[in-house]
Amino acid sequence: MGLLLSRQHQRSALLRAFALLSQTFLWLGRGSLRRRRQQFIEQLFEMGNRSVLFITVTLGTLGMISVFQVLIQVDRILPEYSVVGPAFLLTMVREFAPTIAGLMIATRVGSGIAAEIGSMVVTEQVDALRMCNAEPVDYLVAPRFAACLIQTVLLTMYGGVVSVVAGGLVANLVWGIPYEVFFRVDNITYSDFLAGFLKCVAYGIAIPIAAAQAGLETEGGSEGVGTATTRAVVNASFCVVVLDFILSGFAFFFLFD
Amino acid sequence: MIVAKGVGKSFGGERILSGVDLTFHEGEVVGIVGPGGVGKSLLMKILCGLVEPDEGEVTVFGRSWADLSVTERAKLRERFGMLFQNYALFDFMTVGENVAFPLVQRGDMSAQDVQERVVERLTQVELSGVNHLYSRELSGGMKKRVALARATIGEAPIIIYDDPTAGLDPVTSSKIFNLISDLQRPDSLSLITSHDIERMMPVCQRYIMLYQGGVYFRGTAQEAKQSQDPVLRVFFGGDAVDVGRRTMAGAEGIS
Repeated sequence: MGLLLSRQHQRSALLRAFALLSQTFLWLGRGSLRRRRQQFIEQLFEMGNRSVLFITVTLGTLGMISVFQVLIQVDRILPEYSVVGPAFLLTMVREFAPTIAGLMIATRVGSGIAAEIGSMVVTEQVDALRMCNAEPVDYLVAPRFAACLIQTVLLTMYGGVVSVVAGGLVANLVWGIPYEVFFRVDNITYSDFLAGFLKCVAYGIAIPIAAAQAGLETEGGSEGVGTATTRAVVNASFCVVVLDFILSGFAFFFLFD
Repeated sequence: MIVAKGVGKSFGGERILSGVDLTFHEGEVVGIVGPGGVGKSLLMKILCGLVEPDEGEVTVFGRSWADLSVTERAKLRERFGMLFQNYALFDFMTVGENVAFPLVQRGDMSAQDVQERVVERLTQVELSGVNHLYSRELSGGMKKRVALARATIGEAPIIIYDDPTAGLDPVTSSKIFNLISDLQRPDSLSLITSHDIERMMPVCQRYIMLYQGGVYFRGTAQEAKQSQDPVLRVFFGGDAVDVGRRTMAGAEGIS
């Protein structure tokens, strides 16, 4: 019974998320960004500014560690270093850059969205918006959604470049692999870029919706804001992992040769 | 203006309100009183359509909230002004933007007229010259006055003041009630929830008392004061201290 209730709850949470997503698209279609241009630009700046150092450090470190560990294994099994660079680039473009950046953005930006909206709920600001004929989805969710979507794509592209450059530096400085060997891009196709781009867009849609939903459903006082923030990070990260699985399968069957 | 019929609401299995029947008319100032946690704020939110009741219905200007679409509800809410218990000032807006917000949303005034009205209303609540400040830079009393200015600037026909003096000192509380009295228009309905009965007296014409989930009393302060009902005497007759002492004594076994 407990499991059944839990599944029902999850299903209704998913339905509410889809309802919020469709309302957000509806308000965007009705010119929400035109009316909330200032808020949108502020969010764009805030999300990018707030995440750029975090993304640089995490993806740069990940790139360095990945290349280092792979080169140790390659050195043991077959000392043929020329395959490492192209394989690393391909994996970054298809998989790791969007997914790791997505998880980082879910943590950094998702928590921010949930905390902001959640604290507005508990201080009755969301009710005050409703009393002034301002729809919270139009006023709060749509600008954050659009800003997060754009920044997820931009930050992922930036993070991917940082990661690849960091990996290339380790390969050259520690293992002596020439840059022209490591950065060989001839086996990366448009399909690989498309697969990575689709993931960025999917995460950019899922993260703000999961976070805004958690924020709007905040109950209680400051404790409720904490719970909502945790829920936002968990749900957004979960969405990233599930979407990665689905889109990787889709790309494997329909995009890659 | 507002009619509530058999309104009931539960939260987490606990029944907060049950069978509440109320009618409010134009030109009235009604005080809603009762012990903390009895559901006064909840009732206010049900009356203005922010919370849906589990049972019963609320009609405003002859239209039931339950029959309205989301857009119609939002439009009907424009006919309310509301001062929230926790101020609910938008922290990302300045004082001037907060006060102007209901007029900006309504969209029927020029920016110049809105600004003039904001300055006028802030002067009325003795806060001229603070337009550029953010709510975090204000004291509790100033925040309440800004919230009061925002609630009343649209000159809505129905204004709800949800505990307008919560957490304020007696002097500021008196000032807030004086402002409410000054800003009251003869054709509007004002509903005030508060524990501060003494300061409500000069403002409210009649009272509704909520107790144990329902309407316990409706009438004037005079009627409540003359009643021999111990609960009413606690609230209206100044017996609160005596009842408190008796309760304490009982709990400690002192006769």
